[in-house]
Amino acid sequence: MKEVNLVVIGGGAAGMAAAVSARRSGVQDILILERNPSLGGVLQQCIHNGFGLHRFGDDLTGVEFAARYADMVKEMGIPYLLNTFVIALNPDKTITAVNPEEGLMEIKAGSIVLAMGCRERSRNALLIPGARGAGIMTAGTAQRYLNLDGYLPGKKIVIVGSGDIGLIMARQFVLEGCEVAAVVEIMPWSGGLPRNMKQCIEDFGIPVYYNSIISEIRGKERVSSVLVGRVDEHRRLIPGTEFEIACDTLLISAGLIPENELTDQAGITMSGATKGAEVSENLETSISGVFSCGNVLHVHDLVDFVSEEAEEAGRNAAAYLLGQAPSAKDLTSPADDRIPTVSGDGVGGIVPQYVCRGTSKKEVTFMFRPRSRWRDAVIRAFSGSDELFSKKAVALTPGEMCRLTIPAEKLRAASEIRFSIEGTAV
Amino acid sequence: MYDVIIVGAGSVGCAAARELSRYRLRVLVLEKGHDLCAGASKCNSGMIHAGYDPIPGTNEARFNAPGCAMMYEICDELDVPYLKNGTTIFATDDNGMKELEKLLHYAEINKVRAEIVTPPALYDLQPDIGRDVRGVLWVPDGGVTNPFTVTFALAENARRNGVEFLKETEVTGITKTPAGFSVTAKGSVDSIANRPARASSDPSSHSSLYRSSGNTDSGLRDSGYRSSEYRNSEYKNFEYKTPECESSDGTLRFETRMIINCAGGHSDVINNMVSGIHYHIIPRFGAHVVLDRKLSAKLTTTLMETPHDLPGGGHTKGMAIIPTLGGTMLLGCDATEVGDPDFTDTRRESIEQIVDYFRAAWKDLPLGSDGSPFPEDSIISIFGGCRPHADTNDFVIGEPEDAPGFVNAGGTESPAFTSCVAIARHVAGICIDRLKAEPDPDFDPYRKVKKAFRDMTNEERKAAIAENPDYAKIVCRCEMVTEAEIRDAIRRPLGARSIADVKLRTRAGMGRCQGGFCSPRVLEILSEELGISPLEVTQCGGESKVLCGRACGEGAV
Repeated sequence: MKEVNLVVIGGGAAGMAAAVSARRSGVQDILILERNPSLGGVLQQCIHNGFGLHRFGDDLTGVEFAARYADMVKEMGIPYLLNTFVIALNPDKTITAVNPEEGLMEIKAGSIVLAMGCRERSRNALLIPGARGAGIMTAGTAQRYLNLDGYLPGKKIVIVGSGDIGLIMARQFVLEGCEVAAVVEIMPWSGGLPRNMKQCIEDFGIPVYYNSIISEIRGKERVSSVLVGRVDEHRRLIPGTEFEIACDTLLISAGLIPENELTDQAGITMSGATKGAEVSENLETSISGVFSCGNVLHVHDLVDFVSEEAEEAGRNAAAYLLGQAPSAKDLTSPADDRIPTVSGDGVGGIVPQYVCRGTSKKEVTFMFRPRSRWRDAVIRAFSGSDELFSKKAVALTPGEMCRLTIPAEKLRAASEIRFSIEGTAV
Repeated sequence: MYDVIIVGAGSVGCAAARELSRYRLRVLVLEKGHDLCAGASKCNSGMIHAGYDPIPGTNEARFNAPGCAMMYEICDELDVPYLKNGTTIFATDDNGMKELEKLLHYAEINKVRAEIVTPPALYDLQPDIGRDVRGVLWVPDGGVTNPFTVTFALAENARRNGVEFLKETEVTGITKTPAGFSVTAKGSVDSIANRPARASSDPSSHSSLYRSSGNTDSGLRDSGYRSSEYRNSEYKNFEYKTPECESSDGTLRFETRMIINCAGGHSDVINNMVSGIHYHIIPRFGAHVVLDRKLSAKLTTTLMETPHDLPGGGHTKGMAIIPTLGGTMLLGCDATEVGDPDFTDTRRESIEQIVDYFRAAWKDLPLGSDGSPFPEDSIISIFGGCRPHADTNDFVIGEPEDAPGFVNAGGTESPAFTSCVAIARHVAGICIDRLKAEPDPDFDPYRKVKKAFRDMTNEERKAAIAENPDYAKIVCRCEMVTEAEIRDAIRRPLGARSIADVKLRTRAGMGRCQGGFCSPRVLEILSEELGISPLEVTQCGGESKVLCGRACGEGAV
């Protein structure tokens, strides 16, 4: 069995950033395992701009953003294996992977960073009834066909869900000379970034139907139309509200799900709210020395924050390996030394799920998505009735992640860290 | 001149083909769908019914219990996996208990092993069953397999033993001739569906879909294509045979001595072309909801409610929760009359009926008896199709009085899948007697398939990769299906020609992401193996092309 100090599973935005920062923090022996034929993950098919404004201060395409990190990986001489698929992850930090050159390999890792990314919700997971022929695919699959393969998967498109990939693809289909007949969103608001709603939908005059679902897909061998209907406050179809829109393609852009099959397999404790691993403020999972970051931990809004979080995970993995982190001790410490984070009013799943009272960090960053839209809002953190922290926000929307950095000193005496949002709901 | 033409390549048709291939006969199977197993067999749950519920004296009762034993037998011969996990029919009230008594009585007459088990013995049998369950009918011989794997295996074995098949060929007319019958059909003998897969010796002649952009490494990527491997492989045993027919303008005409009608949902139409003794199919739609495999640990046996009589005649076995060989679970199904036997859309009403039923019954089932709620977010797929219920309320089997030489195996609703081999032996027997056929000494009843990569041990995986590096290329990450397995599914006799065909043969695209990640790569492999443009690759045959054209074409900004 091969031994490697730090194995990074996934060579996308998160995996590359974690590897780069671990090397900067002094870890020499690193191996990135990437299942695709190149580094970069889904960024490879993101030919639109808007990446890197926070991380690099430049407006880059996804491809360019990935290239910056891939160049760092190569310049630093960090080893990586492509076309390499991890088929097993065990609690003792052994990994089984396959690739066509080396066959099946078993690797014993000192530390592991999980950076497997996420997948899209499918049509069937949304329970959309109707025809089952060609012309139904996720927005990401369409993006892959168009940007990597050079083929058009449809000409008259309806998009269900207003996730960012769908919004980006709406604009791109218009630019390809196709018609985007509608975006259909079950909620009263968009699930994507406000800037994507503006630049990809409003600027192109694409109709958006809020509080609406696709109630049926019609067609035989290929989609010929969809029925769109309004929903009530319980998100159930209101009979009689349906109307038909002709189209040849239905794109699904209704949510992303962290790909945690390996995490599950290793027996790592999962969070029902984020669908990722439960982590400490070090981004360490329930297995000591195994860290999680990026979209496999929780679905981010911007890749810049994926990289930032992954760099943090890489630093923490380095500290663990170089014996600078009290991590192994934390794992066995009594539960009351962990301060749990709790979602209060208007707050979705929070990362991290807990903070070690004895944390060596000076400050801790918390991330979550608001459950609905607010303006003139205040985000507060409480322990019981004691306010630990507050921050004002002009506007909050589920499409944008809330990120709060709180000095560790303010948290040490807390029994819990409960976040809530107050403000005017819109 | 064919000896026998079989109309329909579902489970019954393919089983009949295999039975006839034991003899020196020229046999042709005509299938309207783009693939074998395209109708009711595909939408089947895969349950192997022991035969406790058919009304004694009916054809359904006659073929079910023997068919159950034969199904296990052919699964062993053809290397098809199955679970003999038993069936549990549960009752929660007095009426249900009465139903169980009735089923027990039927089981005794039908010679099916069954017993009623009540608490506390029930909790030894099924520790996790809900405490409101009053009793169950325990049927140890019930089981589960994959209806498409069974059908493909039967067809492949029949093909290996000389039977010819034509897909995308719809029978449009049958006329009597002095020697037997003349069959006309719409179709093309050299369509993609009927051509053998072909390997190009020049890999560069295929468009490489995997055009990388930006910062890429060609790295380990191997777009090369090993054609020699194809030519020297086990596939050479299945050489393509040109069918014997007259062809003009997309109309084919075949001559045959006998016909077996296995046309399922259309078996009435075929019968009524030949016989004045008409029957009619009432297509009964049923849907299944598929649950992710992570829940499957607690489910071993198949659990079913007690059967319901249906207003249009006959009955449904009721809602069931069925473990599958892939580790997922099926929930279903409803029974709703629809006009079109080919209807496979998923209906909102069906989904709601199934989900509502299981939401309420969850507490009685092993997965919910600990109080955990119905896992709505674990639904990964939904599928449905029509049972071909005949208005005679039974299978229609044998030669109508006015059409000797024409043998029905129609009205094949449940339990026809379980009964397929028993029905096939009966109807093939009629042909064999009539044609005085002689056994073929070269008949080989066995089929050996390679173990799926996902089921291999690590040692077996190492050996498989050493032999063929395509085993190290995981294409479908959810179901862990390798490129080697996908290429094999295309190259095999009667192999895959569309993305859906690959899915049924390999499980690629059947998992959590439902093909989101793997379908572009599967499309590319199909294009390579079939020697066609990616633009010609279909989702499920016919005009279901996945792609519409080149990007940056006309109209692009």
